[in-house]
Amino acid sequence: MLNQEYPKFEKHSFEGLEFSLSEPITKINLRGKKKEFFTKIGKMLSIILPIEPNTSSSNQLFSTMWLSPDEWLVYFNGEDKQLFKGLFDEISKFNFGSIVDVSDQWICINIKGIKTFDLLSSGSPFNFNNFKQNKNSVTQTLLNHTDVIIHHKEINDINLFVRRSFSEDLWLWIKDSARFI
Amino acid sequence: MFLINCPYCGERDQSEFSCGGEAHIVRPKQPTELSDDQWAEYLFMRKNIKGVQFERWNHVHGCRKWFNMVRDTSNDKIHAIYKMGEKPPVE
Repeated sequence: MLNQEYPKFEKHSFEGLEFSLSEPITKINLRGKKKEFFTKIGKMLSIILPIEPNTSSSNQLFSTMWLSPDEWLVYFNGEDKQLFKGLFDEISKFNFGSIVDVSDQWICINIKGIKTFDLLSSGSPFNFNNFKQNKNSVTQTLLNHTDVIIHHKEINDINLFVRRSFSEDLWLWIKDSARFI
Repeated sequence: MFLINCPYCGERDQSEFSCGGEAHIVRPKQPTELSDDQWAEYLFMRKNIKGVQFERWNHVHGCRKWFNMVRDTSNDKIHAIYKMGEKPPVE
């Protein structure tokens, strides 16, 4: 059964590196291709879903990340079950697309500091050279053999999404690796 | 280790992908009319050649999309990558 408690991750700081748990955050997975899907999302979230691969778009409330040509992840601070219900009623119920609340499946870890990408590079096969220069870039890759979604929201400030069941292992790896960067 | 240019995400390390075996194997239209040998042939038998081979790949640790690849299995040289449903760009 799902442990409703968030993992107990204390904020850690090293020279040029700081990481902490960013929860609670609502995360909603959106899948769809139909015109109505894009219209409804645009209307309800006041945001245009990024079509370009490995990018994101944000407004004051929401951030949306491109995951694949027909899949996006929306996240925002706090918990708003009404928004999810609204999206579900307007999109999923009419078969315009699929709306799934994945808030409990993913854990968001914030990492910032000038050594952020040195840390990530030490455990990932992804080439961060271009990624780190572009704000709002997104990637899905492996970090220490674990699936992660990385959102480069500000320069040297990323949100890292990891599945809840892998989060503790990854957190320990981050803590350990940060000492050697 | 080699790099694969995912048609959706761009160039990524091979460790993010999973090979789904030989591509362009057509499912028989009337499986019930086949003999056991013919069904086994379709289901299990693969060329597994040393040389240029058409393969299906999945970007399993990325966009999770399937695509096709023409790869030389002897040296991992990639000749072409194309999306599912598209015709192979090389003979």
